[in-house]
Amino acid sequence: MSERKVLVVDDEIHIVHVVAIKLRSNGFEVVTASNGAQAYELACSENPDLIVTDFQMPVMDGFELVKKLRQNEQTKDIPVIMLTARSFSIEAEQKEQLNISECLGKPFSPRELLKKIEDILYQKSVTN
Amino acid sequence: MIPGRNYYIKGRYFSKFYRIAVMVTAIEVCVLLAVSLAIWQDSGFGGGWRLAILVCSIVAATCGGWLGWGWYKLVCQIKDVASRFADKDIDVSYVNGLEQERQTDNTAIVRLYEAVCKRFKGKNSYIADLQKQAKDLQLNIRLLQKQKIKTESIIYSVRDAVIVIDEYDKLLIANESAGKLFDFDFKDCQQRSITELIDDSRNGFVEFLRRSRKTKARHTKYELEILRGDEPKTFSSIASCIHDEKNNVCGVVAVLHDITREKEVSQMKNDFVNHVSHELKTPLASITAYSEMLLEDKAGTEEMRREFCTVIQNQAQRLNRLIEDILNISRIESGLVKVEKKPLSLAVLIKEQTRMLKSYADEKNIKIVESELIVYDQVYADKDMISQVIVNLLSNAIKYTTEGGTVRIETEVDESLGLSRVSVKDTGIGIPKDDIDHVFDKFYRVDANKKKAKGTGLGLNLVKQIIEKVHNGRVFVRSEVGVGSTFGFELPLTKREVVGEKM
Repeated sequence: MSERKVLVVDDEIHIVHVVAIKLRSNGFEVVTASNGAQAYELACSENPDLIVTDFQMPVMDGFELVKKLRQNEQTKDIPVIMLTARSFSIEAEQKEQLNISECLGKPFSPRELLKKIEDILYQKSVTN
Repeated sequence: MIPGRNYYIKGRYFSKFYRIAVMVTAIEVCVLLAVSLAIWQDSGFGGGWRLAILVCSIVAATCGGWLGWGWYKLVCQIKDVASRFADKDIDVSYVNGLEQERQTDNTAIVRLYEAVCKRFKGKNSYIADLQKQAKDLQLNIRLLQKQKIKTESIIYSVRDAVIVIDEYDKLLIANESAGKLFDFDFKDCQQRSITELIDDSRNGFVEFLRRSRKTKARHTKYELEILRGDEPKTFSSIASCIHDEKNNVCGVVAVLHDITREKEVSQMKNDFVNHVSHELKTPLASITAYSEMLLEDKAGTEEMRREFCTVIQNQAQRLNRLIEDILNISRIESGLVKVEKKPLSLAVLIKEQTRMLKSYADEKNIKIVESELIVYDQVYADKDMISQVIVNLLSNAIKYTTEGGTVRIETEVDESLGLSRVSVKDTGIGIPKDDIDHVFDKFYRVDANKKKAKGTGLGLNLVKQIIEKVHNGRVFVRSEVGVGSTFGFELPLTKREVVGEKM
């Protein structure tokens, strides 16, 4: 089984750092970006198995990133986990529409995040 | 009864008639005597016949006179009654006067008079009643008119727009605000169709009025947007059905209240809560994640553990700063902050604060240049607050200036304008044009500069609040990307004499 690649996107460097450490120690390959625009480019070039992205970011926020990913044939099926520190959660309708696999509110537990990532990737491998 | 006129056939009038009657009788007697004498002398009658003729003549003359007198009196009465009728002077006492003479006079005229009097008497009181009623009605009309004007002026003076329509969608009354809102002349629009007056295409207000009338609901609420000038304003409208005595809906009264400001405030509150939540949760997320990692012992090396702990510590401090800033701003905004204003020298304060920030500047190899101390730059201000302002401005300048740069802090006194000006000039990264108007906004952070330094986005807002809200001063900013920024503030100088006395 090839190494699974996860793209972690957040403008908060510490969050990216801690998620990267957690994932790497569990056998993932991690690519990081600090905003949506950068993440989109990496998603196209690196072809990750899953993307973990923050919602509120400069230049391009998480929402726009997902919208853009879904429009691209190459990236439209990549599962996305959205992290959000907002006071309201993302509406179910939007979640469905943009095919966001999971929404996690900040503060989050890296352990839980890891579990969710593994679940989603397992589901994906089973359906394939 | 008309004064000065005597309708009674008595007194002067009576004696005059009497004289005339006597005169007529005398003339008659004389004529008859003359005729009798003439006949007597010519005929061959004896003494007995002559006496009889004489007596008969005297009797005839007396009867004629009496008869003439009666006729004359009757004519006078008729004339009198006629003139009374003509003058519409119907008086009971007159009848009584006549009744006294009934024995001797023609009763028919008295009865006629009585009959007419009776008829007129009834009519008279009826007319009087009508006249009284008419007067009352006029009074009532005047009263109602007054009340109408009063009610109208009450509606006219309401600040909110008021529109009243009847069951046929005709406008009954509207006030000035309503006229302004829908652009019609509010005083000259009664009985005009509401569809004529209000363009319904954009806001659906007319439809709302119709709907609320049809549903017969007592009160219906509706929110609509109306363009006033160029800006859209939000109005909350409440339509209430007007019920008549049979409880049928006979119209609708609608009141429109401008809630634009409330909406904005509520939106701002929402935004603020969202922002605060985001800003607080972000450091908290780091703290939670790193502590979990430490607990799970995922930080393999001692070095890593230390790094994780440092992150947690820094994020906790960041959180604390944020909470402090939020509290400070909210205290100032709500007016709960305790302000202790005293005369103080800005230059002296700057010297103190610069010393405190020296180590931070040295870390980045940044030089802080101070202007010469000014002899007189006293302002009346809260020392702690102004210190906070100076620290915020200086630390911002140091934060956004690359290593080896310079931060210049200057104090100027403008005697003519009576103010002291402090400016902090850096050789930092600068602020893009689009952002410059917002740098003093709460939580606003320049996207392009976010990476360069940490911040809460509250520091400059706090500066603005302290200077403008607490001290009636003014903040300013000038900036050029890649060259540097100048942030500063102006405070009114205290008058020398006053300070002199106090000191």
